[in-house]
Amino acid sequence: MNDRVQSPGERVTRTNPLAHVFDELSRFCRSRSLFILHYCTGCGAIELPPAMTSRFDMERLGIQPMVTPRQADILLVTGYVSVKTLKRILLTYEQMAAPKYVIGICSCTVNGGMYWQSYATAKVLKAYLPVDLYIAGCMPRPEAVITGMRALMDDIAAGRAESWKRYYTHYDHYLGNQQALFGENWQTPTDVLAEARHYGLLGERSEGEHTALLERHQQPLEPLTMRLRAPAGGEEKA
Amino acid sequence: MRLGFELVMMPLLAFVIGLLMVLLLRRIGARLQRRVGPPFLQPLYDVVKLYAKRTQVSHGLIHEIGIVMAVGGYVATETLLPVPGMNGLADKGGVITLAYMMMVPSLGLALGVGQCANPNGSIGIARALTAMLAYDIPFMLVIFGAAWVYGTTDLSEIIALQQHGAWGVERMPLLALAGLMTLPALMGKQPFEIYVAPAEIATGPMVEMGGKFLGGLFVMQAFQLYTLGVLYATLFLGGGENWPLFLVKIFAVVSIPMTIAWLYPRYRTEDMLSAMWRWPLLTALLGIAMVMI
Ligand code: SF4
Repeated sequence: MNDRVQSPGERVTRTNPLAHVFDELSRFCRSRSLFILHYCTGCGAIELPPAMTSRFDMERLGIQPMVTPRQADILLVTGYVSVKTLKRILLTYEQMAAPKYVIGICSCTVNGGMYWQSYATAKVLKAYLPVDLYIAGCMPRPEAVITGMRALMDDIAAGRAESWKRYYTHYDHYLGNQQALFGENWQTPTDVLAEARHYGLLGERSEGEHTALLERHQQPLEPLTMRLRAPAGGEEKA
Repeated sequence: MRLGFELVMMPLLAFVIGLLMVLLLRRIGARLQRRVGPPFLQPLYDVVKLYAKRTQVSHGLIHEIGIVMAVGGYVATETLLPVPGMNGLADKGGVITLAYMMMVPSLGLALGVGQCANPNGSIGIARALTAMLAYDIPFMLVIFGAAWVYGTTDLSEIIALQQHGAWGVERMPLLALAGLMTLPALMGKQPFEIYVAPAEIATGPMVEMGGKFLGGLFVMQAFQLYTLGVLYATLFLGGGENWPLFLVKIFAVVSIPMTIAWLYPRYRTEDMLSAMWRWPLLTALLGIAMVMI
């Protein structure tokens, strides 16, 4: 649908004398309230239930699971990422609302891990989208997951976890890697450059040869047609 | 002047108490699962964070108006609910207006979700409105019965009558029971939360909501818990003599369905309808028969 991104860009000059107080407050609240979207791709997902339930209880840190990308703050990629899965991860990531964070759990997201020789996996997650934090291990224990989460919380509170901006400022780099994997026809429904422009994050490395390639191959998005199948004997209607 | 002050204060207090009730809900769930649960200010952190998101994806004007209706409906409702020391519009509105006001948020939500054009959202709303059909019949009967017994629909008068005589729960135990049975459905808690069903239809009406829209819904939930707690306490538990007693009563009322909620899976829509139209409805009808004879 015709989604419209509303929040004011950074170009707006701030006149409110309390702006810094609000910034501080919102950073603090962001760090204390993290909605995670699991993208349970690999075996690492199995360590999340214990991290969430009675033994380790993530909710006491304000971390809770959410079910759609619109609601979530953290994208949790838990394990090896196959090429097919990576497309879904990117679609999900681009739909999430900024500020958003990506955590790669498991060694497989760091460097391919034990799937290094596989023809079907994307080895290095951070080549395709900015990753805030890796939690290595095969698989990392719940303690490690929670330690990682706490590190992310500290980063957010201190204003260091800003990798979502990197996706806009270095879009050409990420898109290039995506195209190398998916072929030059690769496109997503999100107009990343327009969003970058909106946030005032369009830098000299946002555009380049890869975005030019994308523009050449881009098909306009069309709404899905809904087909109703009439009962047997009838004709198919569009 | 005094009225203006009350009209501002009542929704504000409702918001604060409602957030505490959300905390209570989550803490009860955590304790039943032997967890620690969220910190004290967690509901507030969530709301502030959602409003502070940089990206706010709107699907159009109706989407925004829907959320405004959902929150505004409850803000209006709070001014009709008497609390200790403040009556607001309670004597002008009465319990029938209140019952109508309480439907506005659901309708607003339906409008807003409609524009998101997400099939999961539409399924969720269809289920939510069916659920409304299920619980509103026993709910209306309970309200009707209570108004019949007190001989008035004015909530402040109902409180005064109870504070000089017997509490509603003594005069009409069956109706009070029916009301208690309807509460989980009114709150949209398990076993009656088929319209949210996170693992099946991805939280139904909330599926396309992010940022301030989801924040609005969090605020709405806080108001909803408060409204139901206060309404029940007003009809059956003598309302509030003073603030401490009042708070004890409303928190006790909302904690009952919340405790039950965590012990259940969820009913399918048709099971919910038959459950609602059987036990609470029969109890309410019996209760009305008892007070009328
Ligand atoms: S790092 Fe180990 S546990 Fe994690 S996805 Fe790879 S193989 Fe599985």
